[in-house]
Amino acid sequence: MTITKRPLSYWVKTSNLKIQILLLIVILITVTTRVIPLEMQKKIVNHAIGQKKLDLLFLYCGFYLASVVIASGMKFVITYLQTALGQQALARMRKEMFEHILKLPLSFFRKTSSGLVVSSLVTEVVTASEFVGQAVAVPVTNLLTLLAFGGYMFYLNPLLACLSLIIYPLVIAIVPRMQRRSNEANKQRVDVTRRLSSKIGETISGIHEIHANGSYHIENRKYGKFVDELMKVRIVWTLYKQGIKTTNNFFQNLGPFFLFIVGGYLAIQGRFDLGALVAFLSAQDKLYDPWKELMDFYQTYQDATVSYTRLMEYYDLEPEHPVAPIDRDPYELKGEIQVKDLSFTVAGGIQLLKQVSLDLKPGEQLALVGFSGSGKSTLAQCISQLYTYTGGSVQIDGLEVNDLTKQDLARNLGVVAQSPFIFDGTIKENLLYSCTAVIEDGDPAKEYKYPTLDEMIEVIQQVGLFVDVLRFGLNTLLEADQESELVDKLIRVRENFQADFGKELSDFVEFFDEESYLYFSSVAANLIFGNPNQPEFSPDQLHNNQYFLDFLDEAQLKHPLVSLGYQLAEQTMDILGNLPPDEMFFQQSPILADEFDDFKALVGRGGAIRLHEFSEEDQHGLLKLALRFVPGIHKIVALPQMLEHLILDGRFLFMKKIQADHPDAISFYRISEYIHSQTILDNILYGKPRTDHPKSQERINQSIIQLLIEEDLLERIVEIGMNFRVGTKGDRLSGGQRQKLAIARIFLKAPPILIMDEATSALDNASQKRIQNLLETKWKGKSTLISVIHRLDTIKGYDKIGVMKAGKIIEMGTYDELLAKKGVLYEFVHGAKAGAQ
Amino acid sequence: MNSSTEQKRAPSEYQSNLEILMQIPMFSGIPIEPLKLMAYLCKREIFRPGEIIFQQHEMDENAYFIIEGKARLILENDIEEEISEFGESAFIGGLSMFYGMKRLFTLKAVTQVTALMLSREKFQKTLEQFPEVIGKVFEGLVKTVYEWEIRLVGDRNPECAKCRANIGVTLV
Repeated sequence: MTITKRPLSYWVKTSNLKIQILLLIVILITVTTRVIPLEMQKKIVNHAIGQKKLDLLFLYCGFYLASVVIASGMKFVITYLQTALGQQALARMRKEMFEHILKLPLSFFRKTSSGLVVSSLVTEVVTASEFVGQAVAVPVTNLLTLLAFGGYMFYLNPLLACLSLIIYPLVIAIVPRMQRRSNEANKQRVDVTRRLSSKIGETISGIHEIHANGSYHIENRKYGKFVDELMKVRIVWTLYKQGIKTTNNFFQNLGPFFLFIVGGYLAIQGRFDLGALVAFLSAQDKLYDPWKELMDFYQTYQDATVSYTRLMEYYDLEPEHPVAPIDRDPYELKGEIQVKDLSFTVAGGIQLLKQVSLDLKPGEQLALVGFSGSGKSTLAQCISQLYTYTGGSVQIDGLEVNDLTKQDLARNLGVVAQSPFIFDGTIKENLLYSCTAVIEDGDPAKEYKYPTLDEMIEVIQQVGLFVDVLRFGLNTLLEADQESELVDKLIRVRENFQADFGKELSDFVEFFDEESYLYFSSVAANLIFGNPNQPEFSPDQLHNNQYFLDFLDEAQLKHPLVSLGYQLAEQTMDILGNLPPDEMFFQQSPILADEFDDFKALVGRGGAIRLHEFSEEDQHGLLKLALRFVPGIHKIVALPQMLEHLILDGRFLFMKKIQADHPDAISFYRISEYIHSQTILDNILYGKPRTDHPKSQERINQSIIQLLIEEDLLERIVEIGMNFRVGTKGDRLSGGQRQKLAIARIFLKAPPILIMDEATSALDNASQKRIQNLLETKWKGKSTLISVIHRLDTIKGYDKIGVMKAGKIIEMGTYDELLAKKGVLYEFVHGAKAGAQ
Repeated sequence: MNSSTEQKRAPSEYQSNLEILMQIPMFSGIPIEPLKLMAYLCKREIFRPGEIIFQQHEMDENAYFIIEGKARLILENDIEEEISEFGESAFIGGLSMFYGMKRLFTLKAVTQVTALMLSREKFQKTLEQFPEVIGKVFEGLVKTVYEWEIRLVGDRNPECAKCRANIGVTLV
């Protein structure tokens, strides 16, 4: 049965049977142990105290204590079992709902935001599962307890028992009426919560647009509306819920009233003994808890039913296509596509596709061109089963697409969407995504079905992602004591780099040189000229390091540096002082965004006093700034010539001192030693790039690639680069890189049918051409290709070109045929050329 | 306390950038505060002879001020057609500050070129902080286009019918 058709009770019935039985046994024991204290109470008063028997007193008290201890222990066991049941049900509901939701047709997700699904799976199922946990234990325990106490009361005195139980029918008559109203409010609450979640989901996915438009107030207003609505609904709902509790309490508290009146009268008359009255009062009192729990359970049940029904109603849709074939293996298709009189109508009777027909032999390539909105993408999506067409037929190898399972298509079809989705994970994981999806978990030959490293590298080369991945690899930090063989080779690459390219690239890279000042490294790096091995010598700690401060004094550097720090702070404040801190503004100043206010205050103080009058703390702050100063980046202040010389001299003094005092604290930059705190690239460069302009990166890359090839390291570095984590939605990649990655993962899968929906729109000309070439040489004749195209300069090589307009194919033929015909394509091409001139 | 030390300081790159920005006509009406921010955010770049500064058909979202050197503007169709040459103090690409465009020309360094570059992103950040500047920048921009067309109209060849149809940018 589909999950959405299951009643709430299904989850109770299918919960763990062993735990349920165990629970029932524990409950029976508990109920018994609950009555014992009452009887003991009576016996203690009447027999032990009344007859002044000490031994009986101890005995009964012993029984009393034992039963209380057992009852509490059992209560804990019940809670534990109940929680286990509830949480197991919750986990099952979440998993099965998720599985179900994933398979729902795409049209469903056009009206459902991610926020709504999140709230359904995270919060809405919780009440239902709470109910499942309680469904057996709570009613059984409490009903039995009620019966036990009730019976005991009858045994003591039937008249009084009747009197004190008279309230319950009243409660049972009133409460359900109130509950109905509470349910109404609860339904509204579920709906409003859903709208609120949708709104949050939408807002967060559109955050770029909001920042770009500065439309915070619009979003706040929309969101605020839902929050206020929810607040009102929740107040009403809570009032009804509490109303029920209060009503119940009121009647409960009436109980003793009757008892005192009647029981007291009887006791005075001597027709009822005092011990029995005490026991009776206790019993009456004890009725309260189970009854209250029953009422709570009733409320949970009602709430759970409401939210559960609402939840299931919303997702009550059938997946359009079965996931896997039942009695056969997935088809291996050749890729012949026949579309006949295909039409696709969406809600409102709007026809997106009208009577489209086309034929493609295996390996043939079709380009779809036309105005936007003409139905190109829709056609591609109908063929790939992403839309369920409403008329006509689409056949692959003679099989109707609507009748195929998802697995049939996954095996034989590769789709590159307009804006492809990249998942959080490494490049490699994303590259293997499509392949992994079609390899079955239990397949014994699984290992062999994954592409090899060579195949992966070939593909990223083909789509033009190689240099990017290499770059990621080069930007990796290698852990100390790891990859010692690689480290040795990298040192060799460094030496060759210096020898072969040192002179040529000195415009782009500032090499580490003991004898010269490094304008693209910080003052701190210029002084220690090495890699700190102890945390107190790390650049951001130096201003607190007494040894280092003493050294600065000795080198006569402290005062000039503090003065430099002040200049930096003052200049930064002059430019940024009145602006809100924006991350981008701090890229060219040594002041970090979060230190901004402190330095602003410091500069404010500086107007009236001289540098040496600053407090010790302020001076340290300024020193910290100066030590961070990188003249090549922080252009707001020029490094005075004299200070440069002082620092350079200081470097040698520091070297001498530290080797004598703390020989292990620093590993000095040596051309023969790997620097683990720096990336592979910086290690090869043995210096810092002077600019981040793409052209210099390219020059550096070229030289390094050449050397890596010589050392046979290129693939190794690319392999390291493939472990680069791309971030949520591939945020750490550029739009072009994401598209290339999406194309690469489909090429790697090499399906007989390729569908590319403006797959190269974010790429630069060169990459676009390269991929087009690849399609024409490597894939022609191998895979049937349907390509939705927005740029006409790439269509010449296609076997067929379909020109679409208003949901129809109005022209179809080869490029030359269509141009000769002087029809719409001719106009497109002609018009495009005229426009460019 | 700074008045005495101020004079001794060598001018920083930021300060000379600021002086450069002040002489660019498009920015001439802008008050000093936003100009300072722009001077702080822009970057210098060196192009060697023969290096491409920007490439026809490729996105480029920078404006360039040539501090030193010569660059040549080229139209690359089937043949390379030289359009014009830019020398010191030329300001190129101001429109890119408002609209990301694919370049219609290629700019290539002839001698070693030192250029001051301002990216659209950074320029827009400045406008975000100083929205009142937009009007001034537009004024400067329109004035530049206007003066351009005056030259165009003056230089036009009356024989060429096609050229006639192409003038009138200032009527946009």
